[in-house]
Formats: sequence, C-alpha cells, structure tokens
Amino acid sequence: MASGLPSRGFAVPARAAGAVRVAFGAVGVAGAVGVTARWLWAVGWRRPVPSARPEGGRVPRLAAIRATTQGWMRVNGFRRTSAGIELRLPRLESTLLTELLEQVDGLLQPPPVDDPLEALVGLRDTAPPPPEDPAVARLLPDPYPDDPMASGDFRRRRTDEALAHKRDAAARVLAAVPAPGDVLLLDEAAAQDWLTVLNDLRLVLGTRLGLTDDESTEELDRLSPDDPRLPMAAVYSFLTELLDELTRTLL
Amino acid sequence: MSVTAVSPVEVEDVEDLPEDERLWVTIVWNDPINLMSYVTYVFRKLFGYSEQKATKLMLDVHHKGRATVTSGTREEMEAAAERLHTYGLWATIAQD
Repeated sequence: MASGLPSRGFAVPARAAGAVRVAFGAVGVAGAVGVTARWLWAVGWRRPVPSARPEGGRVPRLAAIRATTQGWMRVNGFRRTSAGIELRLPRLESTLLTELLEQVDGLLQPPPVDDPLEALVGLRDTAPPPPEDPAVARLLPDPYPDDPMASGDFRRRRTDEALAHKRDAAARVLAAVPAPGDVLLLDEAAAQDWLTVLNDLRLVLGTRLGLTDDESTEELDRLSPDDPRLPMAAVYSFLTELLDELTRTLL
Repeated sequence: MSVTAVSPVEVEDVEDLPEDERLWVTIVWNDPINLMSYVTYVFRKLFGYSEQKATKLMLDVHHKGRATVTSGTREEMEAAAERLHTYGLWATIAQD
C-alpha cells in the first residue's frame, strides 16, 4: 500500500495549458503513454523537439524550468467548510482533470457480445474473457482467482454493470469539474463519486507506470530527468495529492 | 448459555456441511497504489468499522499482504467484494 503523499506536492506547470494528453491506450505501456512533446517541453523534463518550439519564443533553460517545477505546491483543491466539502481548481488542473476524465468512457467500454442472438436481446449467456488491458483488469479484480468456473460466471453476471457504474461515476465527475474561479460544493454522493473516480484514475495510471510493489512506487520519486515515465508520474502524483486531500476532509 | 467443548466429531460435521451453508469470507490484498488513509476510510465507510478496527485491518493488509475484512453468505461476500471493487480495492472471496 502506498503510505501517503508523494515526497513533494504537485501543481501542473503554467506552460502546459491545453497540452496535456495522457491517453489511455488499449494494451501495453508504450502505446498507452501518449504524452505530447509540448507537454514534455512545458514541464521542463525534456528539451523541446524543434517543431514544438513556440514561434519566436525563447526556449527557457532546462534548469530554470526545473526550479519552478520543484517548487511544487500543494493542490489545495478540496476543503471542508461549514457549507460542506468545496473544490476549487486552477485552470491547468481543471484542464488536466477534464482531459483525463474524457478518456474514461472509451477505456471502460463493455466487451463485445459474440453471439448474435445474445447481442440482439442484450443478454450475456456466455462469460466474456478477462480484460486484456491490465489497467481495466486492475479496475475489475477477479473475486475467484482460484476457480475459473466461478470467475467466468461472475464476469458474465457482473462485468457490464460494474463497467457502467464506473463510466457513469466518471461522467458525473467530468460534468462537475469546476471551471477556474468556480467553487464546486460536494454533497455526500458526489464526494463518493470523486473519491472512487480519482482512485480509478490512479489505478489506471499506476498500472501503466508498472507499479507492482512498494519498491517501484518509491522509484517514481527518483526518476531521471530523461525518463519517459516522468510526465505520467507527475500526473499520478497530482491525482494522489487530490485524493489524499479529499480523504482527509472525509475522515 | 452452556459452553460445549468442540470434539473432533463436531469439526468433521462442520466440514461435511453442504457447500452453501459454510461461511464465506472477503479478503483484501495489499497493492502498491491504494493509499493507507484511503483504505482505512473505505473500511469504515463500507462496513461501519471503528477507526481502530479499520486501521488494524488496513495495517494487516499492509504488513501481512492480506486481511479478511468480513464474512457471511456467498451472496453477501460477492456484494461486499463488488463494493470494494467500486472503491478500487483488490478484494477476493473464498470459503472459510
């Protein structure tokens, strides 16, 4: 289990506006990490590729950008007040979260129903195979790992509904992401949506980052500046920060 | 209530019970992504456990790799595992 906060807070750097794209691929890590060159440049972890250089813009020195990213702040998004739990997000955090949430629906589509008659009546009579994508598999653990029959039967009965439940929660959260300057007031049901959806995003990114044990999690804090996992690791830290804030307002 | 000593015969009787009547349990497994504070919160929220009990279970998961968090009928345990999956915890069920 992760013991808590990353060793530093995280705020999305200012130059990443509109450039954040952490696509969820279908299978595999390499194909799944679709981070744009502009995002990489913006957060200062890599020198820009020439085409990503803003026209007429001066490319800031790497060290200067690193200094700003290492001065990461706490997100300070969730806060308990007398009115309830409030959420405020600066522009970049709001954009980042929106772009992540927009990808959930595509990631969590139900597996196809192969039998034409079953597809026609909308009933599953045969068990879908286990999810191929390890991130989806992580979101839908097999409750019967030692019993293939019971496991298949559980998937047949429950997979579609479990995926729909997660898609619906993500859609509600997506619709509620506060615009910069706005305040979202969360009731109890909304707080539970935010809790589960933020954690689902962490599980997906954590799986993409290959977090399989506590050592690989600690390694995230020691990635070299050239490591291709760095941008995704930063987004993961941001989500961890937000989730920890929300959990603490609920405890 | 009188206390009856458990004899080996009675133990055998329990094992001979039809499968459906034996107790099922829900187990939560350690993973490197879920936060300790979050897991404690989920145990309190879903099962109504005290902070102390929820924290002990969370620490069992963290240090021992797994903890049995609740028990009941098979249907109840499937429902419990599904609620835990909604919260992203890695839960399985088994017959005790």
